[in-house]
Amino acid sequence: MAEAFKKLPEKLQLATSAHVKYIQSLDTRKDEYDYWLTEHLRLNGLYWGLTALHLLGHPDALPRAETIDFVLSCQHENGGFGAAPGHDAHMLSTVSAVQILATIDAFDDLEKRGRGKAQVGKYIANLQNRQTGTFAGDEWGEEDTRFLYGAFNALSLLGLLYLVDVDKAVDHIVACANFDGGYGVSPGAESHAGQIFTCVAALTIAGRRGLVDADRLGRWLSERQIAGGGLNGRPEKKEDVCYSWWVLSSLEMIGKTHWIDRDQLIGFILRCQDTERGGISDRPGDMVDVWHTLFGITGLSLLEYPGLQPVDEVYCMPKSTIERVLGR
Amino acid sequence: MPPKGKAAQKPKGSEASASSASAPTQQQQQQQQQQQQQKQTSSSSTSSPATTTVLERSHQRYDESRGPYEAAAAAVRSQKAGGGLGLSALSREEQIGWISSLLARSASARARANLGSKAQRELWRHVNEASLPVRCIKKTTSPEQQWGTDHAGQDVGRYSVGRFADRSEKRITLTTLEVASRRFLEARDQADKKLRDPLTGEEAVLTDREFQEEKDRRREMASLRKELYGGVSEGQLQFALDPEWDDVEPILQDEPENALAAISYPAEYDEAISYLRAVMLKKEYSPRCLRLTERIIEMNPAHYTVWLYRASNVFALGLSILDEIEWLNGVALKNLKNYQIWHHRHLLVDNYYPTIASSPVLVVKFTDSEREFLTEILAEDTKNYHVWSYRSYLVDKLGSWDSPDELASIERMINDDVRNNSAWSHRFFLVFSNPAHSSCAEKKLGATDFDPKVPATIVDREVQYAMDKVYEAPQNQSPWNYLRGVLAKGGRKLGSIEKFVGEFVSALGEEEKEDVKSTHALDLLAEIWAEKGEREKADLGLRRLAEKWDRIRVGYWEWRRSCLNEGVAAVVAAS
Repeated sequence: MAEAFKKLPEKLQLATSAHVKYIQSLDTRKDEYDYWLTEHLRLNGLYWGLTALHLLGHPDALPRAETIDFVLSCQHENGGFGAAPGHDAHMLSTVSAVQILATIDAFDDLEKRGRGKAQVGKYIANLQNRQTGTFAGDEWGEEDTRFLYGAFNALSLLGLLYLVDVDKAVDHIVACANFDGGYGVSPGAESHAGQIFTCVAALTIAGRRGLVDADRLGRWLSERQIAGGGLNGRPEKKEDVCYSWWVLSSLEMIGKTHWIDRDQLIGFILRCQDTERGGISDRPGDMVDVWHTLFGITGLSLLEYPGLQPVDEVYCMPKSTIERVLGR
Repeated sequence: MPPKGKAAQKPKGSEASASSASAPTQQQQQQQQQQQQQKQTSSSSTSSPATTTVLERSHQRYDESRGPYEAAAAAVRSQKAGGGLGLSALSREEQIGWISSLLARSASARARANLGSKAQRELWRHVNEASLPVRCIKKTTSPEQQWGTDHAGQDVGRYSVGRFADRSEKRITLTTLEVASRRFLEARDQADKKLRDPLTGEEAVLTDREFQEEKDRRREMASLRKELYGGVSEGQLQFALDPEWDDVEPILQDEPENALAAISYPAEYDEAISYLRAVMLKKEYSPRCLRLTERIIEMNPAHYTVWLYRASNVFALGLSILDEIEWLNGVALKNLKNYQIWHHRHLLVDNYYPTIASSPVLVVKFTDSEREFLTEILAEDTKNYHVWSYRSYLVDKLGSWDSPDELASIERMINDDVRNNSAWSHRFFLVFSNPAHSSCAEKKLGATDFDPKVPATIVDREVQYAMDKVYEAPQNQSPWNYLRGVLAKGGRKLGSIEKFVGEFVSALGEEEKEDVKSTHALDLLAEIWAEKGEREKADLGLRRLAEKWDRIRVGYWEWRRSCLNEGVAAVVAAS
């Protein structure tokens, strides 16, 4: 399969250097209104771009020192990180910060110049509701299984998972399981591929993947593939490149990746590229953005597309990083 | 003859008084009018340009164009405003003059007057002698409002003529800069696209110098705009210049390096955010903060923190939750993909419900109004995940499990679109998580475990419902998943619906005649056959799915076949 792709016309191959340039250019578009409107995603965006670059084999495309400086400038006294300097601390940006620092091997800088790993762990742990096991995004209290997964992700990278009540959290995930094998955002909510990823990954980190009804879920996930080869997130919805990650990594975690047609999916992802200006969009022909660029690349990596670094299906980070940090 | 006396009384030295020494000839008057119409001139016509305001000059021009008698009449009218003498206070000569002016410039007035030929000749003779204008400036209904306001909120009409000229020059400068800026954008676009100059054949390229020029240009544009208009457009809060906000010191963000300088749009946003930071820091909760949050939400509804701060304001000020929900409805309809809106609603309901919990009437009223809005917004975006998950939260919160209206509403949505998986999912939740007849509240059972608390009648009803809907679109996944879920909850074997499922598959394995109206049906049949021990039939079904009817999932079908061959039980553990 790998060789076959090299013979395809240029348009249907991965435009690596275009994507690298695209990601590098993102922070320079400060004159665009969109740049300011998405300020609350800045740190997340950095994680998306950085991870994509690492998977593309260009880990040095973003300057390491400046990246560390920027990340640390987002940190608050309580240990949490905001989305950008001056933004309030939030779970999602904190998780992105930990992921970034892990990827570029900068935990030492966090200790020396930042507030230290323990403080970050404390911030995250404080966001758990000890009655229900769920996690809030910040002190204002919005709860979502994404935050639960984020907490497990970051805490396990920091080696601090014991700070939270894992069992209670696992109980909550189980309560979100649905009749079709999937998971929703809360008990009784519709199964959604994004939520499924967060729930299954969280269970995996907690070492409780056995709680997943793998066969039923695998079947539901395999049904996400539609005629063009792309994947959707729920029955009868349109395909979207980001589901190449949410659905595929879930399948990978339960060992059922072969239940979809991998070549067709690769073809779909490649068609979603903008091979000239770089970047990947949700569907062929649409505007690109860094979010879909990352997930298109992680999807291709999981499908073992040649030339890409392997991605860890649980953490959505380079496998080499996870091996280094968790000593696997 | 233009009256010397009255005209000379016109305040602030009008042009008419200066030249009223002799009756101006038509030519002279036209010249004067031309001069007046041109940009500011410092000719002998105006006595003190520095003190005349633009508005007054407008008035003067208007009056003058109407001829000397109009000015006189106006003066008299204003003097006698309360007294009622008005025009009758003019001398006979002035009266004739005024009437002649009126008739000279208005054809409709002439028509109404119905003058005889003698009268007409006299009129025109008088017009020529006195050089009365036959055209004039139209009266604007509100000349005071036509000039607009400047950055300090002052009426530009009150500017002196000289100051106004400066302002006009600035506006022209701004326009030329905007043109140049637009040119830069085009050049950049061409460079991005690597277009070639049609004449020279060279690729377009954007130089650093051009980039730097644009940076400077934008700085200049922003400062000009700020000078002229205050940097924000009409009808919006101007915090720095709004005396209401004088006591607040905005917390500014550090200007990032290399950023193209403040373009007016982001500057407005940035200013609002700076003020938000300031009031959030001192935890101020007040009507002006509420307005501030509304403003920011308007510009960037995805800004997560501003929503939370708004909620705090609403609660701290004890505002009517229903009013806030009313406002939120409008925002939700304009921002269908935004989820902060729904979390905000969640907070509002959490806060509101305890106040009505003891009154069944109010609870019903609120339930109905919420359902009405949910129906409205789901009509725009039928599968919006945030709306649906809010809906399930609401059912639980308000206890509308048994509400026939809720069930009917979902049925209508499924009728409209049988493929709406969200609606199906909500129905399942409504029926099988109802604490009255399910074990969901106890949280001991798994999602697909048999639930003994569910009455058989309900299981029957739901099975029938799903089957009916399958007929509408046999390849639609939702009712098939639903069926499996219902049978599991009801503790029934898949085989209990074998006859129904069989309707969608015929002549399996027969070359020409094989017909599969639904791959989900064939999938289910294979399971049923495996359940019954009819392994060969099951294998045939799975093989046909892998070979022809659902090739994209060949990996899955082959796995199912391998399970059969290993003697593993069917995928769905039948209870």
